Amino acid sequence: MRQRMRSRPTVVLCLTMLILLSLAASVQAETVTLQVVPPVVEISTFFNGREVTITGTLPAGHQAVAEVMGPEGEEHLMRKGRRGPLWMNVGEVTVSGAPSLYLVLSSAAELLQGTSPWGFQSLKRQITLAGQVKDSENGKFQEQFFALKQREKLYAALPEGLKLSPAGGGRLEVRGRFWIPANVRPDTYKVCLIAVRDGQAVDRQCIDLSVHMVGFPAFFMSLAYEHGLLYGILAVVVAIFTGFLMGYLFKGGGGH
Amino acid sequence: MTPLLIMAGIPSTVAAASDSNQIVAASTSGTYAHYRLGNVDFKMGLFLLIGGVVGGTLGVQLIKILRATGSADFVIKITYVVMLGVIGAYMFIESLQSLRKKAPEGRPPEGPSRPSVYARMVQALPWQIKFEKSGVTLSALMPLVLGTFVGVLAAIMGVGGGFIMVPVMVYLLRMPMHVVVGTSLFQILFTCINVTIMQAVTNHTVDLVLAIILLLGSTLGAQFGARISRHLKGDQLKILLASIVLVVMVQILVGLVWPPHLLLGYKGGH
Repeated sequence: MRQRMRSRPTVVLCLTMLILLSLAASVQAETVTLQVVPPVVEISTFFNGREVTITGTLPAGHQAVAEVMGPEGEEHLMRKGRRGPLWMNVGEVTVSGAPSLYLVLSSAAELLQGTSPWGFQSLKRQITLAGQVKDSENGKFQEQFFALKQREKLYAALPEGLKLSPAGGGRLEVRGRFWIPANVRPDTYKVCLIAVRDGQAVDRQCIDLSVHMVGFPAFFMSLAYEHGLLYGILAVVVAIFTGFLMGYLFKGGGGH
Repeated sequence: MTPLLIMAGIPSTVAAASDSNQIVAASTSGTYAHYRLGNVDFKMGLFLLIGGVVGGTLGVQLIKILRATGSADFVIKITYVVMLGVIGAYMFIESLQSLRKKAPEGRPPEGPSRPSVYARMVQALPWQIKFEKSGVTLSALMPLVLGTFVGVLAAIMGVGGGFIMVPVMVYLLRMPMHVVVGTSLFQILFTCINVTIMQAVTNHTVDLVLAIILLLGSTLGAQFGARISRHLKGDQLKILLASIVLVVMVQILVGLVWPPHLLLGYKGGH
């Protein structure tokens, strides 16, 4: 009986703490909200890239930055150089710490400039180059790396790509769109919306965006890489069948 | 086809491998038609084919090594520049000469000449075999070596080798024209079947969808081409073809000589 009396205040204390914690968590969760549409990007036969919309809310008086990032890894690239009159690959350059996809949007252009923790300038500080590249060439080849990725649309910066509008209740609505390019690798990407005040991140909310192959591309990809011989034979059989069919339809045919 | 795909921005290695697959389709019905007409010299074709399979296998391994060192793109392009340059220039000059020769008709026939150095060299080679269908006797080493050469080119350039094989058969193997077309198609078909399977297994560079699209496009294009060619004389057609070949060669060459936009690129095309 005495033991039961002693344990009662402990239970009350625990309950109070739980309620306080859950309240704090709900306030925290409401600071930034984020939705991504579509939540999953499917690469089907005629996939030509996909527009993705992000919407969310954040407290009034804040600016917003959104980042879409792929996993970081090592990339082995070739640097080109002149040998006689011809340009060719002359050495390997290894790039470490670069995400496979990096798209960044902001509600104000200055959020992605200078010493800001977002945008290309920030990313350049975390990327390292090794291999056939001198220290004095580092900056030049970093620029080249970003130019290569931007040409492939795998890296993009959209300053003012996020629009803020009053949402009532002391909050702002955030809207933005970004493009997942056709050459995107199937993977899980992270979409983060960050509330910014005085150039500092106040809060962030992240969602996973899955990009995966479906239908024929998925079938062919797994066949080509996991069963190369079967894929080769299938390619030949399909080619012979198509050849006969076209020959029959056009009463012709020829070589090369 | 491969150089046009490279111009369109498809990685050279994928362009070459997928084009080999497309040639399998393109030469299937042609080979069958010539087989039914009895225009295939199987004995010659077999020797060429053995060489072709050996050469194709060597070529695929070569591409694998070149991809690992990052030079595959460059080697494919430079091979095209050399081959297209030589063939385009030869076709252009030959067609121009024959156009000019046609003006003064009635040239006296040339007298019998003594066997050339080449003919004597061919006769001196060992392992002489009679190829009944083609009506020639020559060393089996000839089709074996030439087949190997075409096989290597098939893997590197993604060509069936018809544009090399036909002149080789006519001028070097001295085969009659009607057997040349059927036999070269037979050899090309099997060489490209081997290259397609090898590329799929070793380099994963065969894009079946691209190959089918290429086949549909080239078959439809061939119908228009056949109609246009009826309105042109043989030599005019040759000059047109030679000009296209030379333009493509110059385009690839400019790409190699001109400073690139970016000094970084992917290994092995991508």
